[in-house]
Amino acid sequence: MNRYLSGAAKTPPRKSDGLTGVLFALPHLILFATFVLAPVAYGIYISLFRWHVLAKTHPFVGLENYGAALSDDIFWIALRNTVYFVVLVVPLGNMVSLGLALALSSVRRWGTFYKIVYYLPVVISIAVVVVLWRWIYNTEIGLLNLYLGSVVGALRSIGLPLPPFEPLPWLSNPSWVMPSLAMLTVWWTAGGNMVLYLAGLGTIGDDYYEAASIDGANAWQRFWAITWPLLRPTTLFCLVFSVLGAFQVFGQSYVMFTAVQGGPVSGPARSGLTLALYMYLQGFRQYEIGYGAAIAYLLFAIVLVLTIVQFRLLSSQGEAKS
Amino acid sequence: MFPTTCRFSTSFVAAAKVLYGCAPFAFALVGLSLWLGGCSPPSPVTNGSVSAPSGKTVIDFWNGFTGPDGKAMDEMVRRFRKANPDIEVRTQTIPWGTYYDKLTLSLAYGGAPDVFVMHAGRLPEFASFGTLQPLDDFYAEAEAPWEKKFAPVPWRATFYEGKQVAVPLDVHPIGLYYNTKLFKEAGIVDAQGGAKPPKTFDEFIEAARRMTKDTDGDGRTDQWGFVFTWQRTNWLTIAGQFGASILSPDGKHSALDSPQNLRALQLMHDLIYKYKVAPKPEGVDAWLAFRQGKVGMALEGIYMLASLEEQKGLPFAGARVPQFGPIKAAWGGSHLLCQPKGIKPEQGRAAWKLMQFLSDQSLIWARAGQVPARSDIRSSPQFGALQVQTQFATQLPFVQYEPLHPKSNAIFPLIEPGIEAVMLDIATPQEAMRDVTRRVNQVLERP
Repeated sequence: MNRYLSGAAKTPPRKSDGLTGVLFALPHLILFATFVLAPVAYGIYISLFRWHVLAKTHPFVGLENYGAALSDDIFWIALRNTVYFVVLVVPLGNMVSLGLALALSSVRRWGTFYKIVYYLPVVISIAVVVVLWRWIYNTEIGLLNLYLGSVVGALRSIGLPLPPFEPLPWLSNPSWVMPSLAMLTVWWTAGGNMVLYLAGLGTIGDDYYEAASIDGANAWQRFWAITWPLLRPTTLFCLVFSVLGAFQVFGQSYVMFTAVQGGPVSGPARSGLTLALYMYLQGFRQYEIGYGAAIAYLLFAIVLVLTIVQFRLLSSQGEAKS
Repeated sequence: MFPTTCRFSTSFVAAAKVLYGCAPFAFALVGLSLWLGGCSPPSPVTNGSVSAPSGKTVIDFWNGFTGPDGKAMDEMVRRFRKANPDIEVRTQTIPWGTYYDKLTLSLAYGGAPDVFVMHAGRLPEFASFGTLQPLDDFYAEAEAPWEKKFAPVPWRATFYEGKQVAVPLDVHPIGLYYNTKLFKEAGIVDAQGGAKPPKTFDEFIEAARRMTKDTDGDGRTDQWGFVFTWQRTNWLTIAGQFGASILSPDGKHSALDSPQNLRALQLMHDLIYKYKVAPKPEGVDAWLAFRQGKVGMALEGIYMLASLEEQKGLPFAGARVPQFGPIKAAWGGSHLLCQPKGIKPEQGRAAWKLMQFLSDQSLIWARAGQVPARSDIRSSPQFGALQVQTQFATQLPFVQYEPLHPKSNAIFPLIEPGIEAVMLDIATPQEAMRDVTRRVNQVLERP
C-alpha cells in the first residue's frame, strides 16, 4: 500500500474533493465533449435522415439507412475484406513485433539506434508509405518481384525443379491485394507494438532466467516457460488494440487505389474495399452522409462487441494470473 | 481486472521510458528523414496574396490541373492578371482525386471559389442541387452569336433544365495513339511508306496481330498490338460504337444489359482472350508500356499527349478511333467553367471576365493537349499545325460524354467493377451486366 492510499484512508473524504476532481478533469472533459461526444451523437442523428450534402432538405427516414446497408451486398463484401485484413494483419504483425522485441532486448551495442530504426516507419505518414510500397510492389519494375525473381533464378541454377519466375501482380490481381496491403501494414505498424513488447520484456526479472539457466533450460525452453507466460498481459493488450486498429483500416487502401484518378475504386474487383473506406465513399464521394453515418455505426457496433468480448477475455486472464 | 490494468499501466510507463530514452536519436533521425524526403513547411493554400490592395476585386479560381495542363493554365491566368490589373485571381490547384470532395463541401458549407472547373459528366449532379449560378444574363449581355462560337456538343452540355450554367473550355476526346516505329517494322504502311493507322475493325485486328510478339524468345509475349488503358473511357467508346446506351431514354433504368453493350463487352474480352492481341489488365501499367515502346496501339484521351511528348525517342502519332462497331462514336469529356450560386455581383462580373478570357486564350490550352471548344480557335492555322489535336478533333461531331444525368457519378463505381470482371475473365458479359444493372437500378430508384 503506498503512502497516497494510506493517507486517503486516514481522513474521511470531503464533499469538495469531488468538485476538485471534476475541476481538474474539466479541461479534458470539455475538449472530449466538443470534439468526440458531440460529433458522435450528431452522427447518430444524421444516420436517421436521407442526408445528401448538397440537398436543401433532409427527410427523416428512421432506420432505413441501416436496413439499406445490411441489404447492400457491397457492404458485406467490404465487411468480408475487412475481416480478412484483420485475420492477416493481427497475428502476423504481433509475431513480427514480438520477434523484433526479443531480438532487440538481447542487443547490447547500438540498441537505441536499432529501436529507432524499427520504430521509424510508425511515424511516417501513410501517404508516403503507400508511395514507397507501390514501387516495391510494381509488377514489372518492383523491388519485391526483382528479389523474388533472382531467388527463384538462383534456386533454378542449382538444379531445383522450379518453373521460371512469373512476376506476381501484387496490386492488380484481386487475390493478392489484401495480402499486399497486410504486408505493408505490418511493416508500417510493427514498431508500435514492438515498443510495448520491449517494455513488457523489461518487466520480467532477470532472476527467472538465471534460475532457469542454472536448471539447464535452453533458450527455447526459457522462452516458452518464462517469457511467453509472463508476457501474456502485454500480448493480450497488443492483440486487442491491433484488432481494433485493423478493423478501422482505411488509409492503405484509400491512398493505394481510391485517391488516384482512373483506377478501379479501392482495388481490382473491390478487393481492397474495407468498411471504413466504403463509409467514406458513400459519405464523401456520393455525398450521402446519412448512409455513410449508418455504415459507420454498424462498424462501431461490430468493434464494440469485439472489444467487450476481448476485455472479458483480458480480465478473466488477469484474474486467473493474480 | 485490477491487477491486469495495473500491469498494463506499468508496461505503458516502461514503454514510455523506452521511447523517451530514444528521443534524441529519434529527433535526429526523423529530422534527417524529413530532410531527405524533401518536406517543406506547409505553404499557404493560395498562390496570391491573402489581402489584396484596396480597390482590387479578388476572385478565387479552383481547378485540378496538376500536370503539364496546369502550366498552360497558369500561363493563361498570368496573362489575365496582366490584362486586368484591377482583378486579383487566386488560383488553387487540387488533384482531381480529391478535387470534387473539396468543391462539394465548399459549395455546401461555404468557402466556394468564384470560378471553378467542372467536368461535363458531373455538371447535372451539381446543377440538380441548385449549386451553380445561371449565366444567362451574362450570355445575353454579350453581342456575339454565342452558339456559333462553340462546338455544339460542349455547348449543349452547359445547359441544365433550360438554364445555362457554364462556359465550355474544351473537349478532350479519346483517340488512337500508335507507335509509328512498330507499325513500320510490321510493314503496316501506306504508299509513301508512312505508318498507316487502322480505320476498320479488320484492319485493327490485322495490325494488332502483326505487332503482338515475343521479342526475346522466352515464351512470353512482351510486345502487344493493343492495350486497354482507362477501362471506363475505352468501354464507353466501344459501347458507343455499338449503339449501346448506359441508361434508358427517360434516365430511370439501366440499359447496360442491352445486346449492344453485351456485344461491345464481348469484343473487349475477345481482344484479350480470343484474338490475344492485348494483355490481361493486371500487372501491366498499360500507359507506361506504350510510353516504353512495347505497345503498338492504345486508346487514350487527348490530355495524355503531353506525357508522350516528354518521352524521349518515342515515335508516335494520333488518329481517330477505329470503327469497332457500326456507329461513329468516341468518348470525350469537357472542362466547363462555372460560378457558385449566389455569388456576389462584383465577384460574378470579375469571374465572367476570367471565364471569357480563358475561352479566348484557349489556343494555349490546346497546345497542352486539348481541343478548344471555340470553333474560331479550332479553325485557326495555329491549331491546324497540331497533328494529334487536329486528328482527334475530327471526332467532335460524334463525341459522347458519360450520361449527363445527376446520378452519373453514383453509378460508375458500380459499372466499373463489372467491366473489369469481364476483362479479367471472372464473369461473362451477361453475368456481369445483370449484376451491374440490378445495382444501378437500385441507385436510380433511390430518391
